[in-house]
Amino acid sequence: METSEDHGNGELNHLTKKPRLTRFITESAIADEFAHHQPGVARINNGSFGSCPGSVLSSQREWQLKFLRQPDDFYFNGLRKGILRSRTLVKDLVGAADVEEVSLIDNATTGAAIVLQQIGRAFAEGRFDRNDAVLMFHCAFQAVKKSMEAYVRRAGGSVIEVRLPFPILCDEEIITEFRKGLEKAKSNGRKVRLAIIDHITSMPSVVTPVKELVRICREEGVDQVFVDAAHAIGSVEVNVQEIGADFYVSNLHKWFFCPPSVAFLYCKKSGSSLDAHHPVVSHEYGNGLPTESSWIGTRDYSSQLAVPTAFEFVNSFEGGIRGIMKRNHDEVVKMGEMLAESWGTNLGAPPEMCASMVMVGLPSRLYVTSDDDALRLRSHLRAYYGVEVPIHYQGPRDGEDGVKDEYGIVTAYVRISHQVYNTLDDYCKLRDAINQIVDNKKTCKTLLIE
Amino acid sequence: MNGDASHSKKKPKLSPPEISAEFSHHDPAVARINNGSFGCCPRSVTAAQRDWQHQFLRQPDNFFLNLLQPAISRSRSLVASLVNAPHVDQISLVDNATTAAAIFLQHCAWSFAEGRFSPGDAAVMLHYAYGAVKKSVEAYITRAGGHVIEVDLPFPVKSEDEIITEFRKALAKGKSEGRKVRIAVIDHVTSMPAVVIPVKELVKICREEGVEQVFVDAAHGIGCVDVDVQEIGADFYTSNLHKWFFCPPSVAFLYCRNQSNAGGDTQLQLHHPVVSHEYGNGLPVESGWIGTRDYSAQLVVPSAAEFVERFPGGIDGIKAGNHSAVVEMGEMLAKAWGTNLGSPPEMCGSMIMVGLPACLGIGSESDSLKLRTHLRDCFAVEVPIYFNKRRHDRRGEEEAGGVITGYVRISYQVYNKVEDYERLRDAVDKLVNDGFTCASLVEPESD
Repeated sequence: METSEDHGNGELNHLTKKPRLTRFITESAIADEFAHHQPGVARINNGSFGSCPGSVLSSQREWQLKFLRQPDDFYFNGLRKGILRSRTLVKDLVGAADVEEVSLIDNATTGAAIVLQQIGRAFAEGRFDRNDAVLMFHCAFQAVKKSMEAYVRRAGGSVIEVRLPFPILCDEEIITEFRKGLEKAKSNGRKVRLAIIDHITSMPSVVTPVKELVRICREEGVDQVFVDAAHAIGSVEVNVQEIGADFYVSNLHKWFFCPPSVAFLYCKKSGSSLDAHHPVVSHEYGNGLPTESSWIGTRDYSSQLAVPTAFEFVNSFEGGIRGIMKRNHDEVVKMGEMLAESWGTNLGAPPEMCASMVMVGLPSRLYVTSDDDALRLRSHLRAYYGVEVPIHYQGPRDGEDGVKDEYGIVTAYVRISHQVYNTLDDYCKLRDAINQIVDNKKTCKTLLIE
Repeated sequence: MNGDASHSKKKPKLSPPEISAEFSHHDPAVARINNGSFGCCPRSVTAAQRDWQHQFLRQPDNFFLNLLQPAISRSRSLVASLVNAPHVDQISLVDNATTAAAIFLQHCAWSFAEGRFSPGDAAVMLHYAYGAVKKSVEAYITRAGGHVIEVDLPFPVKSEDEIITEFRKALAKGKSEGRKVRIAVIDHVTSMPAVVIPVKELVKICREEGVEQVFVDAAHGIGCVDVDVQEIGADFYTSNLHKWFFCPPSVAFLYCRNQSNAGGDTQLQLHHPVVSHEYGNGLPVESGWIGTRDYSAQLVVPSAAEFVERFPGGIDGIKAGNHSAVVEMGEMLAKAWGTNLGSPPEMCGSMIMVGLPACLGIGSESDSLKLRTHLRDCFAVEVPIYFNKRRHDRRGEEEAGGVITGYVRISYQVYNKVEDYERLRDAVDKLVNDGFTCASLVEPESD
């Protein structure tokens, strides 16, 4: 990974005029950068929608104004250069061999559509046999599952799900299930055309042994591997060549401080030309995915153009993005353990399988028995305690005891995030809220949400 | 059915200085005569947009769960009433007309793949269809086995009849080749060259000739020409709201006459190509969530409508004012240069094509782009230039010096002033007097 000096974005400093008085950003400066967050809310859900500091938002606004001021000049003289600059920074960050392998798109959902559209086309055009398989985790992000329905099932492909064991103790559990899933996919002489592997699953959230899983795919003759790493950049180390997938997508607005929204899609250069296209076809059709994605009609590209400012922000922290990742990880684990101890519950995964998010078991006495219960509890926490945290319902599997606390089976987990703006107080609020609900002998079904 | 019920007091009409203030963020040095390409957005609407963006950044979960969808519904309702769509379920909001075209054409590709269309079935589109749409037709129709028939359009054009004749010819061609014409893609206002197409008449002809689905690309529609989707009678109609309806970049609507919502046959429905949680719940709902992104441009449609109401006659008043001004300016330029208009005034909306003096020697697309850059860089005039290749290619030997091969496409929007067009007039006059030709321009460095 390149060091902070190599980014070559010095010429962009005219866009941000932050005087550098101290070596690294201070606590109060961080608080200022996130002063637009709603006060009084314990915002423990960076994972869902990310966050963006004030200085990056300012840069974005400058780009927006530039377009509004003289859009033709912007289009002919500024836009493509700006996007190329952003792509180059991302390419260096993720260790891609060539900037032509890096496209900027709206979000991981769009990346999935691009990858799956070309799979669907191959089925429709007869290059794949009917019922050839595509593999994914059972807990794959809902949007990706729908995309599988829209592009794979509809075109005649079959979808095989791999169970993600949860709660989980080690990588081996995932590897075992994955191998099982692959075998099932290959049964009856089917070809496995694509495997979709989450780098960090969403709900429940764990960091998967993605490098190992990609290696297994290669061994077992899977055609293409797509890593859905929506959460990865800015929370774990990312080296796309080492991971070795054909496609790798990650959101920059989740953990890399970019405005909503921008993601990158990495497509490994291969011998044969890539058939991946942006589904919104415009003038640049056929000129390669990065170029196609850089113009999909008139729209606001400012979040893509503000990427260099996000790098600047990251580099104002000690240790840059690595320093941020380490501190987020250490803190979120600490907070998770504090909550688990207070509630008498468990962590859903060991610290080494967590990045900047941790799953913490909720007391069984809350009696979360469905997704609706989980949503109800979440709404109650938001409305009555000013706590924003997503909750995962983990129903017991047949034949399994499930993890227990002193009073019964743990059926729900909070997914807590830690980002640079979080404070200890955020997690204490959550801790105390849950304890109060339990002490008041309230269960999910009886909670008010207005 | 006005979705914007939150403003009980009507704001007063805008005075000329107030209008200028609303567009004070435009580069004051530039004669901005190209509203057609990228549109414009007044300060009061960008301010409203910032408010929405702020709401998301402040507490995104709450925004997503409680605020976003009601706001999108409000915008959709407003659009439905603007275009006379009988039901809000017929209206989806998308980024731009390019996206709407992709949605429709991807659906056509599925029709080929799933056997509803057969290989060799035809799609008819205008020769002057927008470049992006042509590429989309290639990506989704040609690739899926469809055959594309282009309607040859004359330019300059003298009357609607010329267009109608050519359209009938194209449909007849399809028939004579034994092809079923499955779809027609028709521009309401072509982009380059800009001409208002008799779209209602063409839709009628399509129905007579058994064309199954008609898609009207009205990127320039709303705010530039009259839009009544029921009267026009197409199956699909799309228009950008950021071009001539003062919305920020970017937002457009796609009207679908017969679209069932949740529970309908998913194969027969249109789908947003970026598939997310709402897949299968109908295009309007699918388009309301395509992953985390900035939806704020879709949310300020009511603010743009409010802005429009501050002009006498609202959008109709603005349209009429733009039209008469752009015709007046066009005729002024044509007279000054000794050239002609590309079409009669009744075939223009808020844009008009004006011939450039032949002596400028515009002999290629590259020339037109170079000249455009030259006008921007040396005269601070922003205006797109159309190279009329057909006319250029067909000119006779004796005509070589005198044929008009280049046209400027001038736009008129509420922020424009006579001085903008005088600056263009004088710039071209100077070029002519200096004996300038495009051949003298150096090839620009590539970006």
